Amino acid sequence: MKETVTMWKNTRMVILVALSAAIYAAFLIVFKGGIVLVPGITEVRPANVFPPVFGLLFGPAGAWGSAIGNLIGDIFGGTLGVGSIFGFFGNFFLGFVPYKMWGATFGLVKKDDMSMNMGDWKKIAAFELVSLVSSAACAIIIAWYLELAGIVPFAFLGITITVNNFAAAVVVGPILIALLYPRVKRWGLLWTDIMKKEDVGKGFARNIGSILMIVGSLGGLIVGILVATGTAGQELYAFAGSSGQTSVWLAVLPFIILIIVASIMLSGREQFVEETL
Amino acid sequence: MDIDFYIDSDTLIHRLDGRTKIMLFLASFIALVFFENPLFILPIAFLILLQNVLAGALVNIWRIRFLLFVLTVTGMLMWNIFTSGETDLFWFFDLESLLYSLSRTMLMLLMIISGLNLISTTRNEELVLSMIKLGLPYRVGFAISTALRMVPTIASSIQTISQAQRSRGLDLDSGNILERLRKFIPILIPVFISTIRDTNVFGMALESKGFGAKEERSFYLQMGMGRNDYLILALSFLVVMASIYLKILGLGSIPGLTKF
Repeated sequence: MKETVTMWKNTRMVILVALSAAIYAAFLIVFKGGIVLVPGITEVRPANVFPPVFGLLFGPAGAWGSAIGNLIGDIFGGTLGVGSIFGFFGNFFLGFVPYKMWGATFGLVKKDDMSMNMGDWKKIAAFELVSLVSSAACAIIIAWYLELAGIVPFAFLGITITVNNFAAAVVVGPILIALLYPRVKRWGLLWTDIMKKEDVGKGFARNIGSILMIVGSLGGLIVGILVATGTAGQELYAFAGSSGQTSVWLAVLPFIILIIVASIMLSGREQFVEETL
Repeated sequence: MDIDFYIDSDTLIHRLDGRTKIMLFLASFIALVFFENPLFILPIAFLILLQNVLAGALVNIWRIRFLLFVLTVTGMLMWNIFTSGETDLFWFFDLESLLYSLSRTMLMLLMIISGLNLISTTRNEELVLSMIKLGLPYRVGFAISTALRMVPTIASSIQTISQAQRSRGLDLDSGNILERLRKFIPILIPVFISTIRDTNVFGMALESKGFGAKEERSFYLQMGMGRNDYLILALSFLVVMASIYLKILGLGSIPGLTKF
């Protein structure tokens, strides 16, 4: 995670944070309400495709841009609230997980070709995998906190955020990356072209880190929903029907810790290879 | 398109230092979150709404009335599903779960109104400078303020590009979910490219003006804490302390409520 701090000394990365944030926020505001799935309950926001795309192209700048963009979207949308605080962290992970996992997708992206040209199905599959994991990571971070604060139930919010984030990414993401990657590469704005390799966290046991990230994100989501709906948890987690006690946040907490540990294990240095367009 | 919630006025709340308004905003979160019983939330609700009235920001609550209505309906329904009580009322509604749903809905709405109070009375540049004065690194503050300034420009270009694409026959409102999502691509791509392509020029312009040359920065906007700021901060502190004290005494909960 070192690069999320060291990137701030680079002026172009600072600008990319600002521009990513502005684009994300502007789309959130203009298309607020998105494509309604269930009126008043949930909708698909086209803007949600941006965090994984920003993350893959701009690395840590894309992660910070997604976090700040969501916060600004709340400010301009009039919905700045306690949810915005963890919305910030959740959206950070929505942009952070894709670039950290890109080089550790169990062979879907080859070591000697880390490009994002989406030329074969393996890279599309890798994109969908990192998008799904980042969507779930974002969802459990936000839903966990809002459940803890007693504002919105985990089961409702966890699944809604995951679906909202992933729906846009799964359909539009690969096309967007395929079209934007060559231009961004030509302009020298890929994060691996701007940052120095030594400024990026080394990581260790990257494939295990990748597995832990998947377990932390998707496992946390599933367990949280099961516990929140009473399907599992009371007996399984020994919180034995304690009246007035919320067991969801205790059940999901280990998975959030797992996500943080996986973030340290994953690197991103492996993406510093010479690429051909 | 008017996307700015700031109300240009000279009220008591407007004149407070940005840092005071941020602290007030955070204090309202802390004070609210301790209570399950709606009766204990009422005094804090009164203070938040008083701040809104004093700031002349009721108009902004009206602007987001639809959102507040939707949140009220979903909040009242959701928590009844995920909690239960001992006193049956009707269908899946119990007295305890209904009270809890009411308090959670109030909590959600009041937190949004508290945020609205902050952005209705604080300019973007004042907000960012306040965050920097509270310890946010300057470069992060610069990124936030640049993004805040660029949002209206980009939002405007999204609308221009949308209209141009619609005039070429793009129909964003028909088709199934997948088709409708794909139709956003002709809007997403031009906005992204037109915004990002000048990054290098932007960077050179900033560095030629000494961006990042010195750690210590001076600011055009000057801020200062006055007597009213200290009074409001003291009052906020007292409210937060009172909330914590009541919580320690075990007050503010709903007996008989079960959460999963």
